[in-house]
Amino acid sequence: MKLRSSIIIAACAAALAAAPAWAQFKPTKPVEFIVHTGPGGGADVLARFISQVFEKENLAPVRFQVSNRDGGGGLRAMAYVAEKKGDTHAIAVFTGNWLTNPLTRAEAKYTIKDMTPVVRLVLEPALIAVKADAPHKTLKDFIDEAKAKPKTLKQSGGSITSRDNVVRQLLMKATGADWAYISFPGGGERIAALLGGHVNMMVVEPQEAGEHIKAGNMRVIAQVSDKRLAGFPNVPTIQEAGFNIPNVEQVRGIVMPTGVAPDVIAYYEDLFQRLTKTATWRKYLDDQQFQDGYMKSAELAKYFDVFTDQMRDILTEAGAKVVR
Amino acid sequence: MEALIGLGQGFAVALQPMNLFWCFIGVFLGTVIGVLPGLGPAATIAMLLPLTFNMPPTSAVIMLAGIYYGAKYGGSTTAILLNVPGESASVVTCLDGYQMARKGRGGAALGIAAISSFVAGTFGVLGLMLLAPPLAKFALTFSSPEYFALMSLGLAMVVLLAGASMVKALLAMLVGLWIASMGIDLFSDSARFTFGTAHLLDGIDFVVVAIGVFALGEVLGNMEKRGEGTLLPVPKGLRNLLPTMAELKACRFAFVNGSVIGFLIGVLPGAGSTIASFISYGVEKAMSKHPEKFGTGVPEGVAAPEGANNSETGGSLVPLLTLGIPGSGTTAILLAAFILWGLRPGPLMIQDNPELFWGLVASMYVGNVMLLVLNLPLIPLFAQILKVREYLLYPIIFGISLVGVYTVSGSIFDCVLLALFGLLGYLMRRLDYPSAPLILGLVLGNLMERALRQSLMMSNGDMSIFVSRPISATMLFLAVVLLCLPLFRKFNSLRIKAIEENG
Amino acid sequence: MRRLNGDVLSGAVLVALGVYVIIEALGWNYMSEEGPGPGFFPLWYGIAMVVLSLVLVLRSAINPAPGAPADWTAIGRALLAWAAFAGCVALMQPLGFLLSFALLTLFVVAVMYGRPLKIAMAAAVGNAVVFYFLFVLALDLSLPVGPLGF
Repeated sequence: MKLRSSIIIAACAAALAAAPAWAQFKPTKPVEFIVHTGPGGGADVLARFISQVFEKENLAPVRFQVSNRDGGGGLRAMAYVAEKKGDTHAIAVFTGNWLTNPLTRAEAKYTIKDMTPVVRLVLEPALIAVKADAPHKTLKDFIDEAKAKPKTLKQSGGSITSRDNVVRQLLMKATGADWAYISFPGGGERIAALLGGHVNMMVVEPQEAGEHIKAGNMRVIAQVSDKRLAGFPNVPTIQEAGFNIPNVEQVRGIVMPTGVAPDVIAYYEDLFQRLTKTATWRKYLDDQQFQDGYMKSAELAKYFDVFTDQMRDILTEAGAKVVR
Repeated sequence: MEALIGLGQGFAVALQPMNLFWCFIGVFLGTVIGVLPGLGPAATIAMLLPLTFNMPPTSAVIMLAGIYYGAKYGGSTTAILLNVPGESASVVTCLDGYQMARKGRGGAALGIAAISSFVAGTFGVLGLMLLAPPLAKFALTFSSPEYFALMSLGLAMVVLLAGASMVKALLAMLVGLWIASMGIDLFSDSARFTFGTAHLLDGIDFVVVAIGVFALGEVLGNMEKRGEGTLLPVPKGLRNLLPTMAELKACRFAFVNGSVIGFLIGVLPGAGSTIASFISYGVEKAMSKHPEKFGTGVPEGVAAPEGANNSETGGSLVPLLTLGIPGSGTTAILLAAFILWGLRPGPLMIQDNPELFWGLVASMYVGNVMLLVLNLPLIPLFAQILKVREYLLYPIIFGISLVGVYTVSGSIFDCVLLALFGLLGYLMRRLDYPSAPLILGLVLGNLMERALRQSLMMSNGDMSIFVSRPISATMLFLAVVLLCLPLFRKFNSLRIKAIEENG
Repeated sequence: MRRLNGDVLSGAVLVALGVYVIIEALGWNYMSEEGPGPGFFPLWYGIAMVVLSLVLVLRSAINPAPGAPADWTAIGRALLAWAAFAGCVALMQPLGFLLSFALLTLFVVAVMYGRPLKIAMAAAVGNAVVFYFLFVLALDLSLPVGPLGF
């Protein structure tokens, strides 16, 4: 107990020293850190990692307690955050799904507009990969074959609203090529389908693909990213490969309930900025091959609008039923 | 030979006092959370994950894997004693395990479950050690058509789970399929059978249905009579708490069957331990000399599914460690853990991190022994619950069921569903509908629909994809044979009757 | 007689469920450009459900299996127990888990099993305390909390 309280005192002191003079708000009890997945899901692992770093580096005076509100395809967590109006001790991890899912689900009671944007943290790039013994050496090879023989090539991916399908739709629209899209619920099954030769192509996360590329089972033909990843300096981005489509970003960051004072938002903005400066966070981004996507609250609000409009168009194009 | 050298190296790692300690902590925690319904290994591993960042990765892997296979040992306890499945895979154990307990052989059933878990768990590790790379290649040849065939084979097991009326068994299975399709359809992102509520968008959790239909249905049925004593006969003396030689002998084949089937199905990333336990139970019953006794408390009926369930662990680590492909919720979290420690499971894992791979394998042998030693003495302790008077026991089962369901999702809505499924379970009992086929339909429904639709997408709607692939064709053929079994028996009995009448 | 009623009744309910499934399924895509749609699988099991439940209804109407008459006291007891359980679920939010669980225990022990009130009270408190120590303190699970803070 003694140890704990002395850590807390030290943490308070550190926070006081680091905080700018105008930031009056400070959390006084554990902060609820809401995620929309069960323990072990992507957002959950991220949240647990962040609260661990906060504790280790004494960034915050209180504990950040991860709270799993899984269910309803993310809608349950969103409703939970939206209904906490005015709560200054609750934050949540948002992902691109929080922006897209309400577009296609009539059951959604709330959208991202019912929350306060805090910061954007990471952008997750992706790779377009084929099996190592496939004839396609470049993305153009693949598109050309898909054009010549429509509906014979196949891609494995997630739900039809996922980035995998959005990239496919954009590419098909831009080139007039046509290939099939087969949904698998788990990332593992998607890779297994590619490695087993049951599908021809997939959009894969760099850290998922790393070992398969090293072992010579998989080949990367393009990157879904603004700029080339450090690990793949010789692979062109989709745009560099000559296909002029908008870049589809997979994004993660932090939101909180509405009805909180500006100094509260400023506190969390600053807290996460300090997080992104730690070596542990840098290493995490490198390990996961994520890009630093730090963006402050005001900018993020604009980003939400642009992103939502773009997704609405893309989803309508992809044949999903858009309800709002 | 290579394996022997590796294993020697592995034992040198696993037998370090520190790693022995973490292994014990893992299997102990696993047993505890396995005993409690609802609280599963996936959630536990995720919650402990941050604690492991300061541990050496090998110790951390040894501990987390211990939780994973330890939980499967513990899952059978409440299934046998209270008819409350502790994990999804222990549903099948309820069928004969609980009936054994009703006959006063509860301790014996627990003992058989522990021994079978040990034998099959060890077999699973052996398979992981010797066959990992070639089996991983085999697993990749499996794709949607093969999974569809496997699920069909699983669904055909319904004829083996049916009671007096085949029609009622099939109807229960269809209701299971219906429940399985509630929620968001992956392929079209549209909601099905959600009655307009966001609560049902992710469908209904399997645990809610299983606990409602099995545990609550049973309790409500028992409460019809105002029983004054204890629910189950209480065995006296240590001898009655342990399996007899005859019972163990009856399980010989089940040990082998459970081990092999569990391991093979575990290797496939898209199947899972519940299916493994259903299939090995079905195989055991189909091969048995007295299939009619299944469901009344035969020891083989406990040994086969419990074995399959535990051998599946070793199998599921094959695609995880050699391909980096997780096959279940729990292995997905293990994968996330590996990545956070800076390790990349994949084709190069065994070469690049031999001490970790072999250390894990060796620790699993050690852990299985620990589990046996830990679990056997616990049997008399757990059997004490049978001494609780009925009027006190039923509220306790109600309470455990509620806690189990609530901890899965933290939502009251799931508790409301639990009450509804409890009522359904009671009505099914009253009206002679078997409950196992409902669970079977629920487990397989989603996987089967998905595999069917994926296959037809791959073939552009051409049904021949199922018969032009040898593995899928073979399994579909077996499924048809299985479905025709009752007809054949009926025909046979008619023929015998005719012969007798003529003679 | 009861057997006949039970089978016919449950069969009729299942026919209705099957028809509902079919109607819903017809509202969804059966086949889309990408492959089978969301209505594909439900349509087929819906049809199977209707056919099989009709078989059940007709068979038991024509050839009723002899069965014992329904014991309505027994069924009443089971339904009463179920109602108590459902009540406990309903009270979990306003009262908290431990309190509503204690009330459920009290009801079962005192009313359904006719034990003296003293024993029932002891059982209720005992159950709640054991659950508190095991699940809340030892395992750190979060259960619904009532206005009294437990």
